[in-house]
Amino acid sequence: MAQPLASKTLLEMPEMPEMPPGMAAGNVAQTLRLLRSSMPEAFRSRLRSARELDRDNREAAGEGAFRTAVPALDRLLDGGLPRGQLVELVGGRSSGRFSTLLAVLAAATSVGEAAALVDLGDGLDPTAVLTLGADLERLLWLRPTRLKDALAAAEMLLASGFPLVVLDLGQPPVRGGRGVEAAWLRLARAARAHDAALLVGAPYRVSGTAAGVVLKAERARATWMGQGASPRLLAECSSQLVLEKRRGQLPGRTEGFTLAAPGAPRPAVAAPVLPEARPRVREERPALTAAPFLRRAAAG
Amino acid sequence: MGSPRTACLLLPLFPLAARLRSEPELTREALVVVEGNGNAARVVAATRAARAAGVRPGLSLPQARALCPKLVARPRDEECERAAQEALLEVAEAFSPRVEDAGEGTAYLDLEGLERHYPGPTPELDLGRSLMAAADAAGLPARVGIATSKLAARIAAGLPDPPVLVPTGEEAAFLAPLPLQRLAPEVNVAGTLERWGVRSVGDFAKLPASRVASRLGRTGRELHATARGIDPRPLIPREPPPAFHEGMSLEWPLVALEPFLFVGRAALDRLCQRLESSGYAAIRLELSLRLEPDGHQERAIALPAPTRDVKTLLTLVRLELEARPPGAPVAGFSFAAHPDRPREAQLSMYGPAALSPDKLATTLARLFALLGPERVGSPRPMDGHSPERFNLVEFTPPPPPEVRREPRAGRGLLAVRVLRPPLEIEVITHGAGPEGSAYQAPLEVRTPASEEAVKRPRVEGEVKVASGPWGLEEDWWADDPVGRDYWDVELAGRGLYRIYRERATGVWYADGIYD
Repeated sequence: MAQPLASKTLLEMPEMPEMPPGMAAGNVAQTLRLLRSSMPEAFRSRLRSARELDRDNREAAGEGAFRTAVPALDRLLDGGLPRGQLVELVGGRSSGRFSTLLAVLAAATSVGEAAALVDLGDGLDPTAVLTLGADLERLLWLRPTRLKDALAAAEMLLASGFPLVVLDLGQPPVRGGRGVEAAWLRLARAARAHDAALLVGAPYRVSGTAAGVVLKAERARATWMGQGASPRLLAECSSQLVLEKRRGQLPGRTEGFTLAAPGAPRPAVAAPVLPEARPRVREERPALTAAPFLRRAAAG
Repeated sequence: MGSPRTACLLLPLFPLAARLRSEPELTREALVVVEGNGNAARVVAATRAARAAGVRPGLSLPQARALCPKLVARPRDEECERAAQEALLEVAEAFSPRVEDAGEGTAYLDLEGLERHYPGPTPELDLGRSLMAAADAAGLPARVGIATSKLAARIAAGLPDPPVLVPTGEEAAFLAPLPLQRLAPEVNVAGTLERWGVRSVGDFAKLPASRVASRLGRTGRELHATARGIDPRPLIPREPPPAFHEGMSLEWPLVALEPFLFVGRAALDRLCQRLESSGYAAIRLELSLRLEPDGHQERAIALPAPTRDVKTLLTLVRLELEARPPGAPVAGFSFAAHPDRPREAQLSMYGPAALSPDKLATTLARLFALLGPERVGSPRPMDGHSPERFNLVEFTPPPPPEVRREPRAGRGLLAVRVLRPPLEIEVITHGAGPEGSAYQAPLEVRTPASEEAVKRPRVEGEVKVASGPWGLEEDWWADDPVGRDYWDVELAGRGLYRIYRERATGVWYADGIYD
């Protein structure tokens, strides 16, 4: 995090050297350059432009961050997805990574922001994201087939002013491997230049030093309703997010989160399965008639 | 209220001016535009450098070359002339809503009410200068004449030191000293009149109208009326064109893509400049190619949103030609841009910022070019229950809300990552039901070895928990009905999957990962 020009710093500022000749009038940019070059190194390295200072201050205050409506993510990121940074979410199969990405998109579009999903794995089910509360009219969905194209597309989207771009690499094998680090750095720079939030979901670390924040979704633990030979029903998945990297913070913070299976009875999701809930679920279950996504639709 | 005033916007040496607009690097060369083929080709117009060497319109090309060995010759180009005429009319339409297309580098403007935009002491002079400056910016060295009649305005536009103004009621006095050729160069009656001893417009106007009509017929009567400053022809406004055209005939047929894109870029530059000056953007770009020795090809490029970004349009043209090469040398081309109003956005003070419509349109067009139109859009669910189906529609986000809202608490739902297309798997089952029935629960899942399977996620392992079957029947009345038995399975240490058994074939597939 940038250090603001505190009064202490100003008090410690050494005496200014003589003004270079020809500085009083004329070209402002040249004057500023001369002024900057005449300062001692220790002071010069702390200088910020007004824009940088404003951005640093907003970041420090947690303003402008995207509230994601995923409480665990918001808590780990101190308020939401930071703008102007590449945030990488790493997670293997059934870790809740894709659900988290979709929840972020749903939260952003539901408040009226435009968002884009660059879906390298081509795994989006429009019904699923609609169920999460997304406004599909504000969601742009791209289905590239190569990582190179996905990175280029994400950069174009950032440059065109999308405030939130989500790039998901799908499940391994990822076509294109980890990509070139220079491309990730370009992407991070584009996010910073346009003050946009960039969330990258990947099965393994890909963005190298370009990521400002790295989170890891641990393998989820599934909870099933029903026991033994009786019919089962997927109730929920529990996992936890681990903060692996964040500039200016120590890594290692964790937050648990639970994702309810679509169509599962809500009480079973909110709390561990209650003993009296079991028979009711068994009775309600219309065996051999409804696929999970049909149940999801019925549950609204 | 005075008589309605008319301005004439005239492009002298029109074939030459049109050619130089397409090839501005030839402006300082000794260039002639010729009509006809081979030795029969006649000079139609020549640049100042060629005229200085003695080249005049009407000379044959060999005669002209004899006078000026370094002469550059270009044939008359219909495409260039059509584009230049359209550009001239668009310049005129930027000033007046009523513009007449008189062809051959001439446009008339109705100036009624325009003087209010020029509050200075000489509004018409200021308007004329502005018109010339605007035409010059569009690459057209046009002249302006302003009078009460169209004829007087056209003749005034042809005089030196433009803009030339003819005060109302003084048309006859203005025309009187001019030579007869100025009156109607296209009507060859000046020779006849000169034999009668009539040399100026004023002399002609003094002749009795009935005598002129009896000797020269209807043409003579009309000419006599115009010589007296009477021009009854009203201004006929033109309809806006359905498309903007730019193109040219090439000196040498092109066989490679890069040189074509080089000349194409200049044409697209001019096209987009014209679209911008008219407040339009292109929603559809059509490319017409004239092939050597004969043949014609038409291409159409639909754009996802109106745009006038040259780079984007050029990329789309490149991709189109790379995908379907013309197959013969290209001797000429023409772009036609179908105009549409560019999208506009209202800035919001308290709500989320809207995307810039221009930038969005350009980005969508570039994404179309990069990924293909079937891979860019806004997702929509489709009627039916097959989870792999979806619909993509054009991305046109509605305006953002006026006030920024707080997001609602997330529903915390587990989503399925769809595997498209479904991945074929082998499943070992057991259960109480008959062999191959829906009641056979999966015990173990494997991915069969194949070249395709290497590129897809591997789904294999012992089934820890299985939930199902959940039946799905769809389109039972159609030729290809869907009948599936779905299972949710948890594989030992490998995640949660959604798999199904195709009832018709008994083949198992994995179509989603709970992720």
